[in-house]
Amino acid sequence: MSTRQDAFPELSAKLTPQFLSLIAQYEEPRSALLPMIHLFQEHEGFVSPEAMRFAARMLDLTPAVVESTISFYTLFFRRSVGKYVLQVCRGLSCTVSGAEEIMNYFREKLEIGHLQTTEDGLFSYEEVECLAACDRPTCMQVNLEFFYSLTPAIIDEMIAGIRAGTFSVAPMAQTEKPGRTWTVRQDDEVSMGKKTAGATGVSNPNNAGGLGDASGLIMLDRFVNNEIAMRARTNERLVQDAATVAHVVGEHDHARN
Amino acid sequence: MPVTKVLTDGIGEVDLRDMAVYRARGGYEQFTRALTSMTSLEVLEAADKSGLRGRGGAGFPTGKKWSFLPGDDKPRYLVCNCDEAEPGTFKDHMLLEETPHLVLEGILLGAYGIRSHHAFIYIRGEFKRGFEIFTRALADARSAGFVGKNLFGTGYDLEVTIHRGAGAYICGEETGLLNSLEGKRGEPRLKPPFPAIAGLYGMPTVVNNVETLAYLVPILKNGPEWFSAVGTERSKGYKIISISGHVQRPGNYEVPLGTPVRELIEIAGGLFPGRRLAAIQPGGGSSACIFEEHLDDPYDYESLAKAGSMLGSGAFLVLDDRTDFVQAAYNLVRFFAHESCGQCTPCREGGYWLEKVLHRFVEGRGLRSDIEMLHRVSGAITGLNLCALGDSIEPFLRSVLKRFPEQFEARILSESVAV
Repeated sequence: MSTRQDAFPELSAKLTPQFLSLIAQYEEPRSALLPMIHLFQEHEGFVSPEAMRFAARMLDLTPAVVESTISFYTLFFRRSVGKYVLQVCRGLSCTVSGAEEIMNYFREKLEIGHLQTTEDGLFSYEEVECLAACDRPTCMQVNLEFFYSLTPAIIDEMIAGIRAGTFSVAPMAQTEKPGRTWTVRQDDEVSMGKKTAGATGVSNPNNAGGLGDASGLIMLDRFVNNEIAMRARTNERLVQDAATVAHVVGEHDHARN
Repeated sequence: MPVTKVLTDGIGEVDLRDMAVYRARGGYEQFTRALTSMTSLEVLEAADKSGLRGRGGAGFPTGKKWSFLPGDDKPRYLVCNCDEAEPGTFKDHMLLEETPHLVLEGILLGAYGIRSHHAFIYIRGEFKRGFEIFTRALADARSAGFVGKNLFGTGYDLEVTIHRGAGAYICGEETGLLNSLEGKRGEPRLKPPFPAIAGLYGMPTVVNNVETLAYLVPILKNGPEWFSAVGTERSKGYKIISISGHVQRPGNYEVPLGTPVRELIEIAGGLFPGRRLAAIQPGGGSSACIFEEHLDDPYDYESLAKAGSMLGSGAFLVLDDRTDFVQAAYNLVRFFAHESCGQCTPCREGGYWLEKVLHRFVEGRGLRSDIEMLHRVSGAITGLNLCALGDSIEPFLRSVLKRFPEQFEARILSESVAV
């Protein structure tokens, strides 16, 4: 049986012309990173390590920079997800209009919680931030297609339709069997509904933290701009330190004498 | 009733996604006219004279923003910000999906107004359908000769690139957006330099909201005076207000700025029978609440600032007397904590700890000392961060904590149990 990894070279070769035309749309190749990853995810159902490495090679970046960048964005799944990703709005406008009941209904019906995937790999469920459809609460997206003014009856129909294969929205690609959750965090943390501050304190559950090269560049700029001044300051301090040392040593010697 | 149809004209009546329909209603005439018979400077002057201010949240005068660009011939970029994610805002989502050609014509006019030859639109990742609709609109406009090289034989080249985000509220902040557009983490940049001096790829850049750019079309059509004749002294023209929450007909309503707050509630069908108004969040998740004493205030930038809040993106959330303000404050703080990029300590840690403390209240396990802690922590975030996200965490919380202290006190664990 051919695995996703086996099929990857063929996929990347197939997508390369599209990648090249994406890169051509921008003044700098790196701008094509997000669109490239969108395309990979469309075909693989998630952002695979191979996809990240391929994008890195093509854009002349390190795989670490690509992974750090991708980890910033919640719509990029770094683990395999269910064929239907159900994202229910938990924004305030929906919440004051009954979103909590809708979310409870989903949780009970699917027997999973926030950021989890059903055993059969059919559904992933997430409670997401305001989806910008507050005039028709409670709203949600199924594989990024909008559904509005949800009721238990609509949800029943949706879930039955997906199970029967008759639902109007196409399934996500699924090239690997999904685990219980697709975030990079441990299952138990997720099931407890905890969001930890993580390595860089970012509480985004999809985000394992990462070094922003933007802030790195700012610091780099500062170093370059201040280089001469800093060197001068450092030299000055070294001279002072040397003087202090000489003084202390002198005192010491003096005392000993 | 002051509901007007300017940008919203035709939405829900005809299919404006069809370029033929849009053109039959005068679409692309303003761009054609600007390019063939106006200078870029004249477009800029029209924007400036109209009094148009940024409709995305900050309310900065559009003409002034453009005029900060240096006068040289370096490449410069126009970026349309369609990363709409401010809680309660749903106007750009509508404009993108319902009238994509108007959005595009606004972008073209804006780009010409700043002499840019390459414009971008950054579309929120969740707006997959909007992305597809706009992609189609752009292709149609390109075949019709409104986008590309040597437009109308004038020698003016103008390319438009669509860039799709991938789920991050912070990419609506203009420098976070630019980083995301450059293929980086969407972390806001240190300012200065402002984008007008060093933006996309280090070049002069203007980032404008969808609605702002779309208003350029009717402004050019009817003249800047038509726009500036409406509104108040310093808040000119029309604005789409996204009304949601406890009203009978939530929706997007286009009104002149300065319309009284009370009328906005009436436009949206009023409160539900038997309900009383508790609070209004008048400018998106980032804004502080206003209350019944502000019902007769005009809805404009200045009056809302005077009332201790802001107009923001024009998201108008109505909350009646059944609202659980502890839950609401927790909801919004959790949002900002989740969306914090994590660069600045006050925002990253402040949001995180406020969320933790508020969660205790939600569960009825608040401590008496927590009330003071909420005040103290929320007073130590605003003004200390690279961007405005940090400043957005506390306004709602503080305004409802002050107004409805009893709701918070009722969630304090009784002393005897607390020991």
